[in-house]
Amino acid sequence: MKPFDIVIVGGGGAGLYAAMEAMKTNPALNIAVLSKVYPNRSHTSAAQGGANAALANKAKDDTVELHIFDTIKGSDYLADQDAVDILCSEAPKIIRELDNIGTPWSRLEDNTIAQRPFGGAGRPRCCYCADKTGHTILQTLYEQCLKKGVFFFNEYFALQLSLHDSRMKGLIAMNMKTGKIEAFPARTVLFATGGYAKMYWNRSSNAAGNTGDGQAIAYRAGIPLKDMEFVQFHPTGLRKSGLLVTEGARGEGGYLINALGERFMSRYAPEKMELGPRDLVSRSIETEILQGRGFDSPAGKYVHLDLTHLGADLIKSRLPQIREMSMYFEGVDPIDEPIPVRPTAHYSMGGIDTDNYGRTVMDGVYAAGECACVSVHGANRLGGNSLLDILVFGRIAGHTAAEEAGKFEPSPITADEIAATEARLRSYMQPSGHFERYGILREELGQTLGQNVGIYREASKIRKGVADLRELQERFTHVRVNDTSDVFNTNLMQVLELKNMLDLAETVAAGALAREESRGSHTRTDFPQRDDEKWHKHTIATIEGDRVKLGEKPVTMGRYELQERTY
Amino acid sequence: MTGAKEAHTEPKRDITLRVHRFNPQVDGKPYFDDYTIQVEKGITVLRALNYIKEHVDASVSFRAFCQAGICGSCGMRINGISKLACTTQVWDELDRCKEPGVIRIEPLRNMPLIKDLIVDMDPLVDKMKHYSNWVVSSMPESRMGKKEFLVSEEEFQKYDKATDCILCASCVSECTILRAHKEYVSPAILLKSYRMNVDSRDSIHDARLGELVKDHGVWDCTHCYRCQETCVKHIPIMDAIHGIREDALEVRGVKDSSGAKHAEAFMSDIEKKGKLVEATLPIRTNGMAWTLQNLLPMAMKMIMKRRTPPPPPLVKPAKGIKKFREMFREMTEHVRAEKKSHKK
Ligand SMILES: Cc1cc2nc3c(=O)[nH]c(=O)nc-3n(C[C@H](O)[C@H](O)[C@H](O)COP(=O)(O)OP(=O)(O)OC[C@H]3O[C@@H](n4cnc5c(N)ncnc54)[C@H](O)[C@@H]3O)c2cc1C
Ligand code: SF4
Ligand code: SF4
Ligand code: FES
Repeated sequence: MKPFDIVIVGGGGAGLYAAMEAMKTNPALNIAVLSKVYPNRSHTSAAQGGANAALANKAKDDTVELHIFDTIKGSDYLADQDAVDILCSEAPKIIRELDNIGTPWSRLEDNTIAQRPFGGAGRPRCCYCADKTGHTILQTLYEQCLKKGVFFFNEYFALQLSLHDSRMKGLIAMNMKTGKIEAFPARTVLFATGGYAKMYWNRSSNAAGNTGDGQAIAYRAGIPLKDMEFVQFHPTGLRKSGLLVTEGARGEGGYLINALGERFMSRYAPEKMELGPRDLVSRSIETEILQGRGFDSPAGKYVHLDLTHLGADLIKSRLPQIREMSMYFEGVDPIDEPIPVRPTAHYSMGGIDTDNYGRTVMDGVYAAGECACVSVHGANRLGGNSLLDILVFGRIAGHTAAEEAGKFEPSPITADEIAATEARLRSYMQPSGHFERYGILREELGQTLGQNVGIYREASKIRKGVADLRELQERFTHVRVNDTSDVFNTNLMQVLELKNMLDLAETVAAGALAREESRGSHTRTDFPQRDDEKWHKHTIATIEGDRVKLGEKPVTMGRYELQERTY
Repeated sequence: MTGAKEAHTEPKRDITLRVHRFNPQVDGKPYFDDYTIQVEKGITVLRALNYIKEHVDASVSFRAFCQAGICGSCGMRINGISKLACTTQVWDELDRCKEPGVIRIEPLRNMPLIKDLIVDMDPLVDKMKHYSNWVVSSMPESRMGKKEFLVSEEEFQKYDKATDCILCASCVSECTILRAHKEYVSPAILLKSYRMNVDSRDSIHDARLGELVKDHGVWDCTHCYRCQETCVKHIPIMDAIHGIREDALEVRGVKDSSGAKHAEAFMSDIEKKGKLVEATLPIRTNGMAWTLQNLLPMAMKMIMKRRTPPPPPLVKPAKGIKKFREMFREMTEHVRAEKKSHKK
């Protein structure tokens, strides 16, 4: 195959924006976008709330500077301030650009793009399209890429980087439709594969495929990952699926009730009750469950989100989506019965370590979106800043790759390498020595992470988690792929995704164990305070043999000094 | 603890999923496998399928991603109806089984089968491209990012519902015309085309419309309403289809010379329906010219008010023909009466 100038792995918001920008930067380039699902199915479509930008349409006194401050404070001062500058300064431009190419937005009375308040923001600056902002942004980007003639390889599953003495030669991927392993020799590869919060499995709001493939591929190729221990939990996920019940339910007056029938938030936030900040409510629910006051079920322990006292009328008119979700996914009508909920892993702050231009330490390899860590979110991402991140840094990374592609000489990927990859995948199908069920390993992975590296962390529990992960890795070597067919082997794909999650889970656990402080989403019960002296820095995870090696990197400061984070 | 007990008494029962199987590498033709599993109340069809894949037969193949009804991956036919597996409750389906306790799971129709429950989505993407399902902005690229367009909430409302579409292809699977003609534009594509055409930021309205009125385009639709009844997002797809027709006839028809072409297309449309309903239509009695001249505007008005009874779907001719015939008779009489009163 003729070498590509840029191979973009991922067709979510980050990947598509990168593709568009790369084509704009240099239309002569030969660009491919690979995605394991049709791009319009990417998880960007799940974002309901919106994207932040200081357009000042709603609050006339909003400024980029205020947005910058909110983001840095929200990050618990772990974000790099120069990166946050870029994020927030580019925001108004990128939202307008999206509008200019046809993204539907809800509108204000003066016909400008509508904005609403969002957690952690001092002004209403979250731009939205009803409750489907991510979906409409993704649709628009996909449509524009089709218009521009971007070359899509849909339902291709990226497997590994092809390296020659740590020089990148391209990408190896599996064509799901045929099962064939194909080589993509390339001057540059840009990862935009989304987050890894699905490693918490049924305790995650993420799509089944948010398994951190890009991060795992990069990590195994020797590229460092950053701040992997930071995973954001949302307080109210549905018990069975982890899917989100949005804050609206509590906003309208829903109660959180434990198995003893108590409105337990009175213990943790007597004034704000259910309306306390996300992390506090998550921790409170978790405490109730840990202290045995939760309900029990085969799908795990949980508490009740009770809306029944709000009455059918209010539920139908104000919370129709939440009602629909409860009925679809739990079979519970919140008019008659309380909704079973528990905290759910929602967003991964950590990812592939990049500079402000999307470059990784490896020549020709770039990353953007949730799979990258620039870092603009630090220890805690603000709602509405993630869509912004994927757009702004998707575009920047696409631009950089396009500018720099010419610097790298392509070299062929050998047939031997393809054959070796094929043999490795085939080996999972051999009966002898392969007996472990991937479904069980996957469930146990989610369980041990939830229990030991979840909302509350402490040294002894994390160590237990680390040991469990080692054992799961060992058992994984015996995993069996029962489907031996070539065409659309989703069994094989899910097993490979499991391996990616296992590898990344070790970096999450290692970071969590090392970071002896509590900051943002990372709560250590044995180190309840933020410790700026020792831990105002990023953790860096690289692979050594098959173990995680931890390093560190300073946080780039700027105009804002460290302060206590209070709201 | 009371809570614990409560949860464990959640009702459970045995159900059977009768799943369509086909592996192109070994199977000459598709067949069905029965999987009987125990499920508790509150389980979706997708979770039941996942359970089967994880615990019973790992080779059962289907697409799923978000598990939340937003990505559009898991469209399949459940008990004969195209819908999303991830938003469908097993217990609800139990009431719809032909054979008690047996839920039939089949792939979407009207798209090439790849394996088990997986069909090829590429033809749909090709149609998106063919009908330019994207906005070609009226703003030059060099000016972008500086200013937003001003768009009224009212205009946004015009395409708000249409942008709910998640391209799950359930409507495509149920479309009666597509069964016979794979080239037909498809309901989801008509919906998307409409969405682009009512967007004031777009600049290729006429070209897109020109494509839509050609062969296999908007005039081929039989108004059977199947797509709208099926839509998993409850989008009024027919509004879009009517909107495009209305646009093609009323706006363009008077203003530019392509109007004749549209009329021609409509004629062939009526002719097609005429064929469907045999020789009993007023077209026969009144002649084509008369029909076009007099009934067309009326028909369009009715269509706009959405009072048009659906013309006969190909599957159930008897009932439809009757309705269609009635409608035309009613219209003929109405127009005749109007003409008379004008003459007076
Ligand atoms: C329920 C929910 C609600 C949210 N709401 C908001 C919100 O209101 N505001 C906000 O700012 N953020 C929100 N977020 C976060 C935000 O949606 C995501 O962070 C963001 O969309 C990620 O975009 P992305 O482009 O990086 O990745 P994704 O959209 O996840 O795309 C990843 C792409 O990579 C591809 N891919 C992955 N692995 C492979 C592989 N091995 N081979 C080939 N392709 C691969 C996938 O096919 C996909 O195309 C929400 C998240 C969730 C879960
Ligand atoms: S109304 Fe038209 S587009 Fe919809 S299903 Fe019937 S023929 Fe197809
Ligand atoms: S119109 Fe409805 S049924 Fe058709 S693809 Fe879109 S969402 Fe699915
Ligand atoms: S899995 Fe996404 S719509 Fe069903």
